[in-house]
Amino acid sequence: MAQADVLVATMPEASTSTGIEITRRQHLQSTFEAYRSQLDSDNEYREKLIILSRTITQLSKKLIFHLHRGATSSPSARAKCLKEARGKEREIWGNFGKIKVELNSIADSNGVEALEGFWKWNRQVSPGLEEYIEGLSFLWYLEHQSLIPLEEVQRTLSDEAGEPLVVVTPEDYILGMSDLTGELMRYATNALSTGDHETPLAVCDFVRTVKSYFDSIPPHMLFKLSKKQEETTRSLEKIEKGA
Amino acid sequence: MADIAIASSSSTPRTESVGSTLASAIALLENDQNLKKQIREAVEPIDDLSRSAITELNKLHSAPHSQHAEICQNAADIIGRTQPIWVTVAALIPQGEFYRYQFAVGPTMRNLTTSLVLARFMLHDELTPAHTVSKILGLQQEGTEALQLSAEDYLQGVIGSVNELPRLSINAVTAQNFDLPIKISSFVNDIFASYSLLNLRNDALRRKFDSLKYDLKRCEDVVYDLTLRGLTKPRE
Repeated sequence: MAQADVLVATMPEASTSTGIEITRRQHLQSTFEAYRSQLDSDNEYREKLIILSRTITQLSKKLIFHLHRGATSSPSARAKCLKEARGKEREIWGNFGKIKVELNSIADSNGVEALEGFWKWNRQVSPGLEEYIEGLSFLWYLEHQSLIPLEEVQRTLSDEAGEPLVVVTPEDYILGMSDLTGELMRYATNALSTGDHETPLAVCDFVRTVKSYFDSIPPHMLFKLSKKQEETTRSLEKIEKGA
Repeated sequence: MADIAIASSSSTPRTESVGSTLASAIALLENDQNLKKQIREAVEPIDDLSRSAITELNKLHSAPHSQHAEICQNAADIIGRTQPIWVTVAALIPQGEFYRYQFAVGPTMRNLTTSLVLARFMLHDELTPAHTVSKILGLQQEGTEALQLSAEDYLQGVIGSVNELPRLSINAVTAQNFDLPIKISSFVNDIFASYSLLNLRNDALRRKFDSLKYDLKRCEDVVYDLTLRGLTKPRE
C-alpha cells in the first residue's frame, strides 16, 4: 500500500512543473486505483487460503472418522488403521505445505517476510489448523495413550528441514486439546459397546486431568475455551456415566 | 489395549506427564497473553491523546470560523505527540508479527487517521494520503519498523472523518459560514467517487462505505438549501 501511494503522491509536483493542472479528483482516482488492485489481490489470496483451509478441515474430519472406525477393532485391524491414518495425516501435511508455498509467493510479490503474511492470513488458515490438531492429537492418543505435546504438533507441522509450515500457537494447541476430549468421549462410548471396560476408565481419567488443568485458565485469557469447557464437561459426564 | 494392572499402576505417571504437557502449554499461553496485555497498556496513552484530539476537533462545531485553523492545528499537534509512544509500542512487537497484534493497535490508528484527515481537510482542503498520516504518527521513524498503517485501517479511518462532515456543514450554516458547506460537499463528493472505485467484499469496510452515501446526501442537501436561498456565491 505504502509504495503505491507514495508513487502517486509525487504526481502533483510533477504535473505542476509541466504546467498541467491535475484536479483533486483525478489525483484521488489514481490513489484509489492503487488501493483497488491491492484489495483485489488480497481478496484473491484470501480465497486461495480459505480453500486450502477448508480442504484441510475436510481431510481432518475424514481422518477422525477413520480413527473411530478402527480404534475399537481387533489389535491387528487397529494397527492397520493407525498406519493408514498416518498416511492420511501426511496428505493433510501436504496441504499445509501448499499454504506455505502460497504465503511465500504472496510475500515475494509484496517484498515482505513470509512470517508477516502468516499472521495477516492467520484467520483464514486457523479453522483448518484447529481441525487438524484435533485429528492429530486423537491419532497420537490412540498410538501412545497420552497427550501430544505442543512441540510435537509443531514438529509434525514442519518441513524436512525442520522449518515450520505454519506456526502453532499455545492458543491453537489448547483449543485443539479441548476438542480432543469430545472425540475421546465418542471413542470411550464405542469401546464400551464392544465390551471393553478399561478404555472408558482410562479415557475418563485422562479427560478429567485435561479438564482440571483447563479450568485453571481464567476465561478472559482464552474466551473461546470457556465455551469449549462446557462441552468438555458434558462429554466427561457421558463418559463417567458409561464407565 | 492395556490390561487392568498396567492401567491402574501407570495411571499416576501418565497423569503426571499429561499434567506437565498441559502446564507448559498453559505457561506459554500466559506469556502470549501477557504480551498482548502489555501492548494494550502501551497503547493506552496514545488513546488518551487521540481522545484529546477528538475533544479539540469537537470545538469546530461551535467555534467561530476564525478559530478553525487554530483548532485543527492544535489537534494535529496533539496527534504528533503520539510519535515517541509508538516507538514503545513497536518495541514490544516481535519481528514479523505485526498482524498478530493488529487488533490492539489497528483501532487506535484508525481513530487517529480520522482526526488527522479531518483536521488536514479543514486546513488544506485535501485528503491526507496514507503515507503522510503514517509519517505524522511517527510510524516511519527509526524504531517503529514493526508497525504499519494498513490499507484497511487507513481506508476506514478516512470514512470516519467523512462521517463528521454533515454535522459540521449544518453547524457552519448556523454560524453564518456559507463557504464551508460547499467545500465540504465537494470533498465528500470526491471521496465517494474514489471509494466507488474499490471492489469491496461484504466486510466492515463495505458497511462503512455504505454510510458514505448518506453523508454525501446530507452535505448536498445543505448546499441545495443555501443555493435556494441565494446564499451561495454565483458560479464563475
